[in-house]
Amino acid sequence: MNGPLIVQSDKTLLLEVDHEQADDCRRVIAPFAELERAPEHIHTYRVTPLGLWNARAAGHDAEQVVDALVQYSRYPVPHALLVDIADTMDRYGRLSLVKHPAHGLVLTSTDRPVLEEVLRSKRIAPLVGARIDPDTVVVHPSERGQIKQTLLKLGWPAEDLAGYVDGEAHPVELVEDGWALRPYQKQAVENFWHGGSGVVVLPCGAGKTLVGAGAMAQAKSTTLILVTNTVSARQWKHELVRRTSLTEDEIGEYSGTRKEIRPVTIATYQVLTTKRKGVYPHLELFDSRDWGLILYDEVHLLPAPVFKFTADLQARRRLGLTATLVREDGRESDVFSLIGPKRFDAPWKEIEAQGYIAPADCVEVRVSLTDAERLAYATAEQDEKYRFCSTTATKQKVTEAIVRRFAGQQILVIGQYIDQLDELGEHLDAPVIKGETSNAQREKLFDAFRQGEISVLVVSKVANFSIDLPEATVAVQVSGTFGSRQEEAQRLGRVLRPKADGHQAHFYSVVARDTIDQDFAAHRQRFLAEQGYAYRIMDADELLAEN
Amino acid sequence: MSTEEKPAAAAPRSLAEALRERDDASLAALLRGRPDLVTPVPTDLTQLATRAGTRASVVRALERLDRFALQTAQALAVAADPASYEELLGLLAGDDGDPAVSAALPHALGALREQALVWGGDDRLRLVRTARELLAPSPQHPSPTGLGPTVREATAGMSPGRIQEIVATAGLPSTHDAVSAVASLTALFNDPERMSALLDEAPSESVEVLERLVWGPPYGQVTADPAPRLRWLLDRGLLLPTAPGTVVLPREVALRLRAGRAHRRTEPLPPPVEAAATHRPQVVDATAAGQAYTASATVEELLKDWHEGGPAVLRSGGLSVRDLKRTAVALDVTEPVAAFWVELAYAAGLLASDGEADERYAATPAYDEWREQPAADRWVRLATAWLAATRTAGLVGGRDAKDHTLSALGPGLDRSAAPEVRHRVLSLLAALPEGAAPSTGSVLARLAWERPPRGGRGGGRGAAEPAGGGDADDPRARLAGWVLSEAEMLGVTGRGALSTHGRALIGVPAPRRAEAEPEGPGDKLPVHHRSAPPPAPLSPAEQATAAAAAARLLAPLLPRPLDHVLLQADLTAVAPGPLERPLAEVLGVLADVESKGGATVYRFTPGSVRRALDAGRTAADLHAFLAAHSRTPVPQPLAYLIDDVARRHGHLRVGAASAYVRCDDEAVLGEILADKRAAGLGLRLLAPTVLAARVDPAGLLEGLRAMGFAPAAESAEGDVLISRADAHRTPPRTPPEPVPDGPPVPDDTLLTAAIRAIRAGDLASTAPREPAADERAGRGGELPRTTAAETLATLQAAVLTGEALWIGYVNAEGAASRRVIAPVRVEGGFVTAYDHTADEVRSYPLHRITGVAEAADEDG
Repeated sequence: MNGPLIVQSDKTLLLEVDHEQADDCRRVIAPFAELERAPEHIHTYRVTPLGLWNARAAGHDAEQVVDALVQYSRYPVPHALLVDIADTMDRYGRLSLVKHPAHGLVLTSTDRPVLEEVLRSKRIAPLVGARIDPDTVVVHPSERGQIKQTLLKLGWPAEDLAGYVDGEAHPVELVEDGWALRPYQKQAVENFWHGGSGVVVLPCGAGKTLVGAGAMAQAKSTTLILVTNTVSARQWKHELVRRTSLTEDEIGEYSGTRKEIRPVTIATYQVLTTKRKGVYPHLELFDSRDWGLILYDEVHLLPAPVFKFTADLQARRRLGLTATLVREDGRESDVFSLIGPKRFDAPWKEIEAQGYIAPADCVEVRVSLTDAERLAYATAEQDEKYRFCSTTATKQKVTEAIVRRFAGQQILVIGQYIDQLDELGEHLDAPVIKGETSNAQREKLFDAFRQGEISVLVVSKVANFSIDLPEATVAVQVSGTFGSRQEEAQRLGRVLRPKADGHQAHFYSVVARDTIDQDFAAHRQRFLAEQGYAYRIMDADELLAEN
Repeated sequence: MSTEEKPAAAAPRSLAEALRERDDASLAALLRGRPDLVTPVPTDLTQLATRAGTRASVVRALERLDRFALQTAQALAVAADPASYEELLGLLAGDDGDPAVSAALPHALGALREQALVWGGDDRLRLVRTARELLAPSPQHPSPTGLGPTVREATAGMSPGRIQEIVATAGLPSTHDAVSAVASLTALFNDPERMSALLDEAPSESVEVLERLVWGPPYGQVTADPAPRLRWLLDRGLLLPTAPGTVVLPREVALRLRAGRAHRRTEPLPPPVEAAATHRPQVVDATAAGQAYTASATVEELLKDWHEGGPAVLRSGGLSVRDLKRTAVALDVTEPVAAFWVELAYAAGLLASDGEADERYAATPAYDEWREQPAADRWVRLATAWLAATRTAGLVGGRDAKDHTLSALGPGLDRSAAPEVRHRVLSLLAALPEGAAPSTGSVLARLAWERPPRGGRGGGRGAAEPAGGGDADDPRARLAGWVLSEAEMLGVTGRGALSTHGRALIGVPAPRRAEAEPEGPGDKLPVHHRSAPPPAPLSPAEQATAAAAAARLLAPLLPRPLDHVLLQADLTAVAPGPLERPLAEVLGVLADVESKGGATVYRFTPGSVRRALDAGRTAADLHAFLAAHSRTPVPQPLAYLIDDVARRHGHLRVGAASAYVRCDDEAVLGEILADKRAAGLGLRLLAPTVLAARVDPAGLLEGLRAMGFAPAAESAEGDVLISRADAHRTPPRTPPEPVPDGPPVPDDTLLTAAIRAIRAGDLASTAPREPAADERAGRGGELPRTTAAETLATLQAAVLTGEALWIGYVNAEGAASRRVIAPVRVEGGFVTAYDHTADEVRSYPLHRITGVAEAADEDG
């Protein structure tokens, strides 16, 4: 008994990474335990019902899970915990959705009392139809997603075996000239295709777009791609034209400005969730073609209405792509039931170690408010406090110092507040991209930045997602959306794309000391710290003195 | 029955006589089995026999019988009195015989004899009258055999004319009186051949009626004008009326229909305890040791939680439901489990009520001692307390007879049977091969066989269908269920199988094969050498040895405390195992515990660091502490955090005298004054660096902290006050005494003395009755006479041998008496002795003793 794993009573698993069996252990626990924190010595995994059901969906059984725990555990595993794990896993698959030759979609059970229990639930009753036999009940095909969602909430997740429609065929091939899918990308595509539907979790910069392209090449059918915004849509289109046999004409953009429906259509969340007179006018997009595959970019941002539409699309293959399953709104279980279980996950540090993303140096710079500022901060209204401390003038000095230090490299300055950004742009003599900047102007500026014509770019949160800035090596964050963990991860992602010369990326977060800015920063960093990115903390004076 | 052939002298005529024939060892076995008989010590065997026949004592003795012995007693109760061994065997095994029953019967009968429930030779077995009354069927108390009254009993009130009619219809010659008519009817029913001939004639519907009644209850309802099928039976006496509208199936008829069996299912053999799963013994021991460690840790955590004054004691005693809930949340367990830990700590004497006016629970001084003990000893203390406790945590949350909720630590939780059941369940587990975990059902079934639940004998269930897998209402079954789960929580068992240290704890040294008890020879009288299941827990000395052995076995299995932690950049520290106490204590202040189990995860927060600084540590201290106990360099963010908090810590100072704030930084005070949130504090700038406040210092501290400052409290002299809570302790407390059921089992010394006294008393009471038979008749009613020297020598010899003596004694008033004494000491002209006649220790002046005589002399 000297394994690398310690099983805690709160169902977290502590893995000692320096242990010789750590890698073997990681491999066997990964299917059922979620990596929660990955700092330098001890990684924390958590065993949750969702994780256990994910494992069941991937074909693992309770015995394997229990064996893995017992085999690698340093201390005896409490009996009660093993029993609980077995019980939880046993709940998956008692109910399944299958296609009945005569009655269409049905819910069947191998355990009659469970079926009785769920049928008695008020929330299930409206979703089901006639009882065909004691173990089978008809489900309205339109409620396939809804019933899965509800069953999961009741604690009896249903296995969806009803299969998929093939959709309208459309030839798509990967064109691998001078590049190839990386091994983990291949693995991700394979896992997804094998599982039918689900989510692939990859760090920013690890090539999620290519996983999407790989999935399309597998499906060889018409595809609907949902992305966060127009820039991202163009990015996808560009990338698909470059990496696949698809031509510009085959790819349509469905956004605020253009409404094209082609074999491959890229739509933004925003246009889909636009509401006019109480209805969503663009919903017909889902029915406009016989889609064989639906891709969701940045699943963690999926707006609530899209979940609702997705519930109606359960017969089509769905692939979710994200850097993190952490949702600020806590709807992870909806992702599980509507898009699918997690099919692939790779810790950031692992991919970094393989050289596919750049190593990063994360620094938190603490600036002190001046006495006058402190007084003003103390008297500020509660809802103005964050804005006040995060836009303090001292930050400007520090930002300038950082930009000076990395002069010549590609630098992004990212912030939340437009006034602050405008001011910074003025001082740094750099263009500012914000919400009112037109798309054409944005692309022009991005291009210039990419070409190296401009080396400093000030961006607001509009540039948070899916813009590809390959040569940005330094990012300076001056303010953010309060304590958003995924935003922090996204912003770090801007500098993680592997650099041509392999040199280190830098991520600076400028924070006002002794204010709520500092508290929010601590919260924002938690996700990355847990992924193994250690922030150094510096005093502004120190940094200014170095220059 | 052929009693005449036997020599009359050998057949005892009463229980007392039967007892008188038994040897000392056999009497000792009786007294051990029924300790209530020996308190107080009976004066003679007649009194012993009388006492053994009292209802309370018999009920108690019957309750302690195993199922087969009980069935044997029940069979005897429906048999003739006296009955022969063959008759009894017939009732139990049926006409067809049953080898298992034949093999087990002598043993069961031996047990009944040993318990003085049955006496007499095999040809004349007699059940003690009280037992017979308790077990014999009557309309009020249907017997578990489901048999009704005999023909003679059922026809007692019937008119002779009606009896003659029945006799005639049954095809028997008429007789001249009712008694002989009943006899001939009984003979008919007892005769298998004639009986089957009679039944062959019966209409099939009538046979159906009989089949319905045959296994009981034997009573049926009839209308005033019975249907033909009933009429046929009534006419032939196969059914007899008992009261208007009620008929009964006579016992003889039922027995004939049952092929002679008194019980539908006789259970001569105890059901085996089946292993549900077998684990490797190492796995079992490791799991149990892990759980043992958790047990100690949980109790410690519980009392730490109650450190600064635990929950209040309810007026009716015990812990309120809300406090139990809160404790359960704090321990991260369910409420029943929390109740178990609380009760365990109480039973081990680690917590008690503090007895103050505002009564609260708190740790006892014994807890501080316990905490310093090695881990294995700590566990042993808990486990032994658990074994012996009569308090049962499983009852918590239930309701008592008055429908009051039973609360943890409250009254009404004592169950006398608990220690015995615990011991028995663990012994059953010990009898399995190593690493085998029994199925709960088979353990419960076995316990139910060994001590059938009360409902199965006396009460409502007429049918003789013994409960198969243990009754949910059976208190012993509930106790046993709790024992199994509690043993697992406590780490006595691991994965359901008894661990090595658990085995040692109950004093079973090595794995033992399932018992192959030698069958007691039922035909010989004293059957005391039967190896009874160990009924009593170990003696204190044995227990101490067993506990030491358990501790020795457990110690190497427990995780060794570590002296280091792993510090990580995400501001956590992981202790990959239990920590040494001082380290754990400091870390507990410096960081918040995030996750517990085999390891402990601590998280450093500004709040936790401030707590450590408040407790009087400096930043330098903390850095040194972390550097000393970390295997890896202290991560930069953690060092920064400590410095950052320390930098601000104590920056503001708050006075106690009139509540003031002082700070060298004028701007800070201005900042505070300007802050709207400070309005409630009533702040006023006293000097550029001092603020005074209206609120008390505590409120001021809170307020300032809420505003994001880190003020430090300051004493009148200007030093920083260190806020560290003192531990709250009860005055010295003893753990609750177990409440045993009945008097304790007497030890061998006491038993020997008691038996000797009884015999002596018996001699005293019986000897004068037969003066002619005794050569030394002259001494019978007179005082023994010996010389002073002889008296002294005999007394001194008796002290050495421990024998009892007769003495003649003249008291201060000059009255002479004969007494039986067991001398303890002879010195200074006095003999100190246990006076069996007076049942106490007395001293007698030697000069008043007329003489001595040996009490055992007169044994014929």
